[in-house]
Amino acid sequence: MSLALESRLAAIVGEKRVLARPSELRVYESDGLPGYHHAPRLAVFPATRDEVIDVVRLLAETKTPYVARGAGTGLSGGALANGVVLLGLHRLKRIISIDVENCRAVVEPGVVNANLTAATAPLGLHYAPDPSSQTACTIGGNVSENAGGPHCLKYGVTLNHVIALTVILPGGEIITLGNPDGEDDGIDLLGAFIGSEGCFGVVLDVTVRLVKNPQAIRTLLADFASVDSAARAVSAIIASGIVAAALEMMDAPTIHAVEASIYAAGYPTDAAAILLIELDGPLAGLEEDVARVEKFCLDAGARGVRIATDAADRARLWQGRKKAFGAMGRVSSHLVVQDAVVPRTKLPAILAEIGRIGVARGLTVCNVFHAGDGNLHPNIPYNANDPVESAHVHEAMREVMEACIAAGGTITGEHGVGLDKLPYMASLFTPSTLTAMCTLRTVFDPEQRSNPSKVVPIHSCREWHAAPSARP
Amino acid sequence: MSSSAEISALIADARARRMPLRLTGGGTWLDAGRPCDASETLSADTGVVTYEPGDLVLTVRAGTPFSEIQRVTNANDQWLTLDPFGVTTGTLGATVATGSWGPLASAFGVPRDHVLGCEFVTGAGDIVRAGGQVVKNVAGFDLVRLATGSWGTVGMLTEITVRVRAKPEEDCTLAIAAGSVGAVADWVRASVHTPLAAEFLSPALAQPLTGSADASLLVRLGGNSPLVAAARNAAAALGDSRVLPANVWSKLAGIEQPGAIVFRVSAMPARIAHVWARALELTEMFGGVAHATVSRGVVRCILPPGESKELPQMLAALSAEMTLIGERLPASLWPLATRARSTDTLARGVRHAFDPDSILNPGILGNT
Ligand SMILES: Cc1cc2nc3c(=O)[nH]c(=O)nc-3n(C[C@H](O)[C@H](O)[C@H](O)COP(=O)(O)OP(=O)(O)OC[C@H]3O[C@@H](n4cnc5c(N)ncnc54)[C@H](O)[C@@H]3O)c2cc1C
Repeated sequence: MSLALESRLAAIVGEKRVLARPSELRVYESDGLPGYHHAPRLAVFPATRDEVIDVVRLLAETKTPYVARGAGTGLSGGALANGVVLLGLHRLKRIISIDVENCRAVVEPGVVNANLTAATAPLGLHYAPDPSSQTACTIGGNVSENAGGPHCLKYGVTLNHVIALTVILPGGEIITLGNPDGEDDGIDLLGAFIGSEGCFGVVLDVTVRLVKNPQAIRTLLADFASVDSAARAVSAIIASGIVAAALEMMDAPTIHAVEASIYAAGYPTDAAAILLIELDGPLAGLEEDVARVEKFCLDAGARGVRIATDAADRARLWQGRKKAFGAMGRVSSHLVVQDAVVPRTKLPAILAEIGRIGVARGLTVCNVFHAGDGNLHPNIPYNANDPVESAHVHEAMREVMEACIAAGGTITGEHGVGLDKLPYMASLFTPSTLTAMCTLRTVFDPEQRSNPSKVVPIHSCREWHAAPSARP
Repeated sequence: MSSSAEISALIADARARRMPLRLTGGGTWLDAGRPCDASETLSADTGVVTYEPGDLVLTVRAGTPFSEIQRVTNANDQWLTLDPFGVTTGTLGATVATGSWGPLASAFGVPRDHVLGCEFVTGAGDIVRAGGQVVKNVAGFDLVRLATGSWGTVGMLTEITVRVRAKPEEDCTLAIAAGSVGAVADWVRASVHTPLAAEFLSPALAQPLTGSADASLLVRLGGNSPLVAAARNAAAALGDSRVLPANVWSKLAGIEQPGAIVFRVSAMPARIAHVWARALELTEMFGGVAHATVSRGVVRCILPPGESKELPQMLAALSAEMTLIGERLPASLWPLATRARSTDTLARGVRHAFDPDSILNPGILGNT
């Protein structure tokens, strides 16, 4: 059976593009989140849209479960294909069109996020969602995770930038979500698809909105002697109504990791926390906003605020932030990367709570996050080969998640549920809500073959016990 | 007006009796004319549930009218940046359910861009709580987007959480003798400024709103005072301008008379001049008015009440050329504003899964 499938897949994409040997498949055991290792049974790498269509239709015909994969930078284990077929899309990397007049582009799913912005930069445009992984992750992966990034505070997340998608459903049917030729109406299936983590179908192409580059940019680095005063500065800026393009926080352990790495950005190593704040837009009125933000920081207790002197200085400040996860990776053998959101007024309290949880378990928590959105990333470097330390990390993470839920927050702001957050879904959503999610998935994928066993814990759904038609 | 538990019981009861329900907000849209085959009505309750100004997040019961939302947010110098056409007795629930938007969509987007969470009751009586109260959230499949714009067909909205914003320090509205919609579109595309709203008005609409006998641009500029001053200077390049009181926007929102025929046409934004020309030709022929939301490439047409022999044919021609979306139409014209799409089967599947016996606003989205 497997042999037959392998050779039929090879007939579509060529023999070299189907991997079946365990040694070849090892690379695809994990995504960006270390800690989970599940090898696929086969991996197939189409190069063209037609090949993807033929592959998906063959998988439908043979009722084979599969998992789509972009660059594999996901941080929730979403792209792992445990014993099923892995469908790699990174070879579909063509920018199909760039339409300056309508400020949009059409891209294949494997286009790397930063490559789109690089291609549109000479035209004075960019693709706004900018995950820190943007030099590696794909637009198809971004759509599936509804990816965010530092600048999503002002510009919005992937959802707000996708005009239309062409999708092949798990059953093999090709549909267009959204309306590329005007206004859309009716049930927002495009919105429902974005962030569906590969469970609703495979993205064949994406029509995205491009944004004008701002006339002027000011990047500020504010230096605080306590995490609490940095958090209070964030709350003050948000409440003032000034919409920063980005508002990011890093605490002392993160600063130390960055400054000890090749990404050293000149952050003050004696600070308890720093804020990286960017304001952009028309030049008129910008300096006034900069002055107000500076004052909010100083009033909250900042020791100093420095403004990037030029583009190179600004790039260096950002490089430290965007490569912070990588820098932490050097600190120890393993790193758990967390993702949760709290209401922004709760930031001071939740950061204090996370600090307490870390101390109680003898762990170092590195906080580097999108403070303006209340989107936390408390990360813990540790040694996964030490069972006692691993157990502590696991417990600490559970406590952090519970604290965020108790604060009125959520368990993921941008990395998705995947495998990693499954255990928390039932704490956040009612059984009826989880059932509704299962129901929606079943409409797109009646056989539940597309990225099986991810996102919604199946045992929490009533559908699992009774098919929709059998319900009273 | 009922609580979620009561609504759940009412829906379950209606389902047991196979009695279709017409879901309503403030009832201001009942005359939208969308054919809906239901005799009993059900409406959501009202009231603010939570409002934390420091978080810029507001949760209300779905039947809460805009006037009430404005009252509570105003007290904190904040606003909900949704301004759907119609009167302020309209409810947030109806706005979200219908995906309705107004001029502020130029800068802030439509309901799907504002809603952070919602509660709805499915046609099976299940109470679903989707999304949350935070501004960023990807936990699970996006049932919030599913409910937004679904016209109640996946569930009766009972509670909604939206992001609100601080009001701009200055908020200034200008009427500009801009000449052509094409010139305005070029300006919007090239300018460093992003107006809060920019509506191009047909001459017959400009007359009552701005006093001008020519087509005019109504533009709303917001921000701190140096920014607004610079934007005003920049906009002056489009033509003579005059400051208008902000209530011109509510006049525009309420311009249509009862029974008017209202629809929107759109294409890719760069085709706005063509869409405008076609829409204007038709509107003027029937003695109506039109306005274009320039940055979104959408033209909204308002025709006086009354059916005519030529209108169906002309609308059919228009919809063959561009996207036609009905807002308020006589029942006979709805089929013209319903286009076939590759997602029709999927949409039907969603409706059937969430409302297995078709009791929620049956027929309201047409046959597709
Ligand atoms: C250092 C680092 C920093 C990061 N920073 C951010 C950040 O700031 N913001 C943020 O949001 N994320 C961030 N991430 C997470 C990750 O980069 C994003 O989730 C990204 O969108 C994943 O893209 P990918 O191409 O790697 O997708 P993958 O990891 O390959 O896949 C992710 C999911 O998408 C599905 N999928 C992929 N392609 C398709 C397709 N064509 N059709 C259907 N489904 C598909 C997969 O099945 C899987 O469920 C970061 C990751 C790393 C390692």
